[in-house]
Amino acid sequence: MSEGIGKLWKDWRLYAIILVVVMVAEWIGSREISIGIGVILLLPMLFAFIFGLGSFFSPLIKEKQAKNSESLVFISISLLAAKLSVTMGPALSLLVDIGPALILQEIGNLGTILIALPVAVFLGLKREAVGMTHSIGREGNVALITEKFGFNSPEARGVMAMYIFGTVFGAVFLGIISGFLASVTPLHPLSLAMASGVGSGSMMSAASGSLIGLYPNLESDIIALAGMSNLISSMIGLYFTIFIALPLCEKLYSILIKGKEKKVKSKMDLEG
Amino acid sequence: MLKNMSEWLLVFVVVGIIILFGNWVGYSVVPLDALPGMLVIVLLCLSGFLLEKFLPFKIPSIIYIAILGVIASIPGLPWAEFVIESTEAINFLAITTVTLAFAGVGIGRSWADFTKLGWKMVVVGFCVLFGTFIGSAIIAEVVLRVQGLI
Repeated sequence: MSEGIGKLWKDWRLYAIILVVVMVAEWIGSREISIGIGVILLLPMLFAFIFGLGSFFSPLIKEKQAKNSESLVFISISLLAAKLSVTMGPALSLLVDIGPALILQEIGNLGTILIALPVAVFLGLKREAVGMTHSIGREGNVALITEKFGFNSPEARGVMAMYIFGTVFGAVFLGIISGFLASVTPLHPLSLAMASGVGSGSMMSAASGSLIGLYPNLESDIIALAGMSNLISSMIGLYFTIFIALPLCEKLYSILIKGKEKKVKSKMDLEG
Repeated sequence: MLKNMSEWLLVFVVVGIIILFGNWVGYSVVPLDALPGMLVIVLLCLSGFLLEKFLPFKIPSIIYIAILGVIASIPGLPWAEFVIESTEAINFLAITTVTLAFAGVGIGRSWADFTKLGWKMVVVGFCVLFGTFIGSAIIAEVVLRVQGLI
């Protein structure tokens, strides 16, 4: 991580572009789109993301800037972590009270398997489905799957696909979905705050950011819970995947595939 | 090593300044008022990086930053009041805007790979993200209600 940092601070072109992008995004401010059953909240961070991506395709950004930008995401997330952690000190008693929920909601990560695996199998994905749906597919999961199944395995292709998808769309999607769920479901903002800690810094900040946009008076509680939940996810998430999620995903996959083959077979019998 | 550290410091200062400007435009906090809070945040980050570098454990800097931040803000400790009050001037959302601006630029590099994913992968990808979020939210909700906290 420390290599190349010597050049990082000199990339004035990148800083100038980011400064403009950020100022314009903040100037636009947050916008709410009401869609009947609820609201879709568009925060400055979403505009910043879109302008940033747009600038990549303009001549302003060269390969060098894009590469440096990746390191600077890490720097920004460190700053975010520092801001998060200073809200945790005053919230310690809340965190202790909410401790059981904080730990148990980690099990909710199995939702990736329960919801996405049947869809994947239904759509005709094979072993790729295991790689894609066993977790949200961040760096640690990519390492785990490629190590276990081999670099050229279908499982590895699946987890790489999820990794790329999550990198591009994760923060934007979770930011929109958390605000939307807060406005259409009876789920409490603190529950949604805990859910925001999925184990990726940018996804967590986007998801909890939308909640803050809707419940500004709960800001510090939302930040403290989302941050704590994210910390727990990043610390125990991989062990959880190795010992619980991945075996469960494989088991469920073989059941679903068998069911599907049976269905296809009986259909063929009928037609034949 | 020291050279490396001063370069980290420079990067943090530049990113910090961008955040202060965003914080100004978006949340009407004058940069000078938010400066002490930003210094606290940058100091926490640098200390976290130093600990990662010098302690023998394989723990990422972000964990050290989190631990230091919690210690720095436990109410009752002599410095806590300053830490909490000064950092309140820095809006969480102002930092996320900057984070996602950098992410947007950097993600351009993954865009070509992304367009190669078939639509099925995209559908499944949405289900994966939705699944983990809703799963955790429901469990958290149930536990909080059982505990009578909400």
